[in-house]
Amino acid sequence: MSSLRQAATNRLRAWAMRRHGRDSLPINISRRRIYLLPTRFGVMLGVILGAMMIAGLNYNSNLALGFAFLMSSMAVVIMHHCNRNLQRLSVDVTPEVDAFAGREATFEFELRNGSNLDRRDIEVRCLSAAGMGNVAAQESGTIEVIAPVAQRGVTRVNQFELRTRYPFGWFYAWTYVQGLITIYVAPSPAGTKTLPSAGAKGTGTHSEARGDEDFSGLRAYEPGVPLKHMAWKVLARGGEAAVRNYSSLAAQPEWLEWSALEGMDLEARLSQLCLWVLESDSAQRPYGLRIPGREIAPSGGAAHRFACLRALAAFGAGESEEPVL
Amino acid sequence: MISERVSYEQLLGISGCLALALLAHVTTLPLWVLAIIVVCGLIRLWLARSGRSAPPRGVLIVFAALVMPLLFLRFHTFNGLVAGTALLSVTAGLKLLETKTQRDIYIITLIIYFVSLAALLQGDSFWLLVYLIGVCWLTTATLLRATSSGPAPGWRRSLRFGGRVLAQALPLALVFWLLFPRFAAPLWQIPNDSKTAASGLSDTMSPGDISQLALSDEIAFRARFDSAAPPSQERYWRGPVLDYFDGHTWTRSTSGRGGAPPPLEPQGPAYRYTVMMEPHQHRWLFMLDWPSSWNQPNAELANDYTLMEPEPLSRPVDVVGTSHTHVQYSQPLTARTRMRELQQPQGRNPRTQQLAREMRSAHPDDMELVSAVLGMFRQQPFYYTLTPPKLSDNSVDEFLFDTKRGFCGHYASAFAALMRAAGIPARVVTGYQGGTLNPYGNYWILRQSDAHAWTEVWIDGGGWTRIDPTAAIAPERVESGLADAVNADDTLASRWQRKTPWFAGTRLRLDLLREIWRERILDFDQDSQRKLLEMLKIPEPDGQKLVMVLGAAMALAFAWLTWQIHRGLAPPSKDVTARTYARLCAKLAAAGIARKVHEGAEAYAMRVAQQRPDLADTVMALCRHYSALRYAAPSARITLGQFQAGVRAFRPKAASMR
Repeated sequence: MSSLRQAATNRLRAWAMRRHGRDSLPINISRRRIYLLPTRFGVMLGVILGAMMIAGLNYNSNLALGFAFLMSSMAVVIMHHCNRNLQRLSVDVTPEVDAFAGREATFEFELRNGSNLDRRDIEVRCLSAAGMGNVAAQESGTIEVIAPVAQRGVTRVNQFELRTRYPFGWFYAWTYVQGLITIYVAPSPAGTKTLPSAGAKGTGTHSEARGDEDFSGLRAYEPGVPLKHMAWKVLARGGEAAVRNYSSLAAQPEWLEWSALEGMDLEARLSQLCLWVLESDSAQRPYGLRIPGREIAPSGGAAHRFACLRALAAFGAGESEEPVL
Repeated sequence: MISERVSYEQLLGISGCLALALLAHVTTLPLWVLAIIVVCGLIRLWLARSGRSAPPRGVLIVFAALVMPLLFLRFHTFNGLVAGTALLSVTAGLKLLETKTQRDIYIITLIIYFVSLAALLQGDSFWLLVYLIGVCWLTTATLLRATSSGPAPGWRRSLRFGGRVLAQALPLALVFWLLFPRFAAPLWQIPNDSKTAASGLSDTMSPGDISQLALSDEIAFRARFDSAAPPSQERYWRGPVLDYFDGHTWTRSTSGRGGAPPPLEPQGPAYRYTVMMEPHQHRWLFMLDWPSSWNQPNAELANDYTLMEPEPLSRPVDVVGTSHTHVQYSQPLTARTRMRELQQPQGRNPRTQQLAREMRSAHPDDMELVSAVLGMFRQQPFYYTLTPPKLSDNSVDEFLFDTKRGFCGHYASAFAALMRAAGIPARVVTGYQGGTLNPYGNYWILRQSDAHAWTEVWIDGGGWTRIDPTAAIAPERVESGLADAVNADDTLASRWQRKTPWFAGTRLRLDLLREIWRERILDFDQDSQRKLLEMLKIPEPDGQKLVMVLGAAMALAFAWLTWQIHRGLAPPSKDVTARTYARLCAKLAAAGIARKVHEGAEAYAMRVAQQRPDLADTVMALCRHYSALRYAAPSARITLGQFQAGVRAFRPKAASMR
C-alpha cells in the first residue's frame, strides 16, 4: 500500500516537474499548481457525510437533510480554506547549503505572505525531512528543514514540497516547487594527524599571532572575520570596512596537502583534510588546499573555508542528483 | 503530528462537546447508557488530570464485551434508530476512555456529527436544530484547537473561525436543501422503532381513558378552514368508531370493516379544510364529521366513516378534505351491521338492562327514548368530573346507579349501552371536539384536552344520528371546550393562563410560528420544489429541470464561495486617500498638466496654478486637503469624504487657450 502510494507520489512529482519546468525562485504559488486530497480522516468524514445524507433522505427528514447538507458544505468550505492556505505564498530558498557527511543539512525556506491572511501550519518537505511554521499576514517567515545527510558529495535537490493540513486536517493541500538547491556535503571531519606546520614548528605558534605588535597592514573586509580584527578606526573615519592583518597570519601560510597523507584510504584522507581546514580556520591563519585537480591559494575567512570544504565535497565524484525520476 | 498526545485540555473540550451532543438524546437513550458514557469520560479526564495515560486496551475490550450484550438485551437489535444511536454513543464513550492521539479526537468528532444527526431524525423542533448546529460549531472550534500545530489558537479565535466556516457554508447548504431531489418513497423500509408511544386516542375506550387525555396540552392536529368554520357544536372531528362492548371497555371491532360505507345524502353547506395531522402512530385521520372527499391517495373511508391510512402515521401529514356537518343516510341498515351494532355482553350490567326495558316500554318511539335518557342525565344528579371513581366490570351499572360521576367517556359508554339494551343500534365515536382558534394564523388548534367521546344511534329514516350525552350534563362543555368545564380540577398553569391573556396570546403566536415551521420546513417536499421552480418562472417543472436548476445554483454558490474565500488573498489595496489623489492627478494629466514623479502635492498645485489660473483655487484647495489628510494629525476639519467629493466634482476643461 505504502509502496503504491510512493509510486503514485513519484509519478506526480515527475509530472509536476515536466509540467512546470524549473522554477525561478522566489516563486509565487499560484492556484494552478496546488493539489488537494482528503486525509484519511477526511475520507472517514466523507463516508459519515454520505451516511448522514442517506439517512436524511431515507427518513425523509428535512431537518436531518439540512444538517447533513450544512456539514457537507462545511467540508467544501474547509477544502477551499486548505487550498487558500498555500496560495500566493512567495517561496525562496538558499540555493546552496553546506553540510558535513553524517550530520544534518539545514535548509532555510523563506516564505513571504503578502496577503491579509495568516498562514498557519505550513509544512516544507525536502529530502524526506520536514519543517513547519506559520507566516502572519503581511510578513515573512523562515522555515527550517533539517535533513540528515549521510554521503559526502554534491547533491542537487530539484524539487521540494509545500504542504498544509490547516484547518482541521480533513484535507491536505500541497504543491511542488522545482527549485534548485545544491548541497555540498563535506567529508565528516575526522583524523588523528596534526597540522603539518604544527609538526615543523611546535604547537602554540599561532596563539601568539594575535599580538598587536605583529600588525602588518590592512586588507579588505570579508564576512566571517572575527569582530576584534576589524579596523574600526578606519571605518569610523569614513573609510572602507577593513580588517587588520597580522604579520604572523600573513607570513606563514599553511598548505594542506593531499600528498601529505599518503597511504590512507580516500575518504579518510578527505576527512583529515576537512578537519585540518576547520582547525586552521579556527586558528585564524591563512591556509591553502592542494588536492588532485584542485588548488586553492592560501587565504582565510568564511568564504575561503567554504571554498575549501566544497572542493573536498566535490572531490572525485561528479555532482549527483537527488533521485527524482 | 498525528501521533501527538492528547492534552487534558483537548480531552476536556471534546468530552464537553460529546456531552452536549448527547444531551439531545437524553429523553430517548436509556439512562444507564448515558451513565456509562459519563463514567468513561470522567475516568479518562481524571487520568489525564493526574498525568496518566489511557487505560490499556485489554480493559477496554473487557468493558466493551460487557456493555455490548447489555445493549443488545435492551434493544434486541442494533438496526433501529435509538439502538443505533445507543451503540454509537457507547462507542464514543469507550473511545473517549482510550483516547491517546489526535486520531481518536477525529473519530469522536465524527461520532458527535452523526449523533447530532440522529437527534434530528427523532426530533423536529427549530430549537433542536439551532442547538445542534451550535454543538457542531463548538466541536469544530475544538477540533481546530486540537489539530493546529504549535500553541493552540485561542477559544475566541477558534470560535470565530468556526463561525466563519459555518456562515460560508450556509448558501451552498441552502441551495442543496432547496433543490436536492427528494424521494417519494424511502430507499429501504425504515425499521419502525415505535420509539414514540402512540399518543392520543386509541381504538379502545375504558371509562376514564379520555379524562387522562384531558390533562394533556399536546397538540393532536391543526385545522384550517378555507372559508368560515362551522359553529362549535358542529365541529366534531371523527376518530375511531367503537362498536364492540364487553361491559367495561368499548373496542373497535376489526372484522366486517370492508366494503363501501353506506351512501349519504349531504345536506347543508360543504366545508373545505386542511387538517395538519401530528404523527400519532395510528392509522386514522381526523376528519370533520362527515367526510366526503380527501386528497390522500392511499387513505380509505372505512364503512363507519373513519378515514384510515394503510400505515400508522409516523410523520406529519396534511390532509385536504371536504365534509358536510349534516347528512341523511339514504339506505337502511343491513342486517349484519344491525346485529353488530346491537351486540351486548352476556350477563353484564343487569340493572342497566332492567332500566332499558322499563324505558323502552314507556317510550316506544326511538327519538323519544333518546330524549328520555338525555333528560335523565340532565335531571338526576349526574356530575361531570375529571376524577371519577374507579369502576369495575359492570361499569355502566355502577356509573348509572351508584357513582353518577364521570367524564365524556362514561356518558357515551353508558348511553350507548342503554340504547343497545333497548334495541336501538348504537356505537361510541371518539375524536376531538371544538378547538381553539389561533387568530394570528386563522387556524384551529385541537389539543389532547379537546378529545371527546360521543355516540351515534341508528334512527330508522334518518340513519346514524349523533347524540352527545355529555352535552345533556354540562351544555357549556360543548360550547366552549374542556378547560372551562373542569374548573375544580384545574392545573395551576392553566388557571394562570386564563388569568393572563397576554400569555395565551403569546402561546398562540408561538404556535403559529411552529405551524409555519412545520408547513414550510418540515413538510418541504417534491411538491414544494415544484412550486419553487414555478416561482422561478420555469415552465413545466419536473425532476430533470430541478437537477438543472440545482446545477446552476450550485455553480453560483461555488462562485460566491470562491470569491468569498479568496478575496482575502488580494494584496491590500492602496489606501483611499492615495487613490483619490491619484484620480485627481489623472484628471489634471488629462487636462494637460501631468504631475512629475518627484513633485509633491503643494509644488504640483503651484505649478498648476501658474499654468492654469482658472483652476488655481480648486486645485490648491484639493492639494491642501490631500496634504492634511495624508500628513497632518487627524482632525475634524477636513474629512476624507469631503476630499473625495471634491475630487469627484472636479472637472477641469482641457487647455483651450493655447
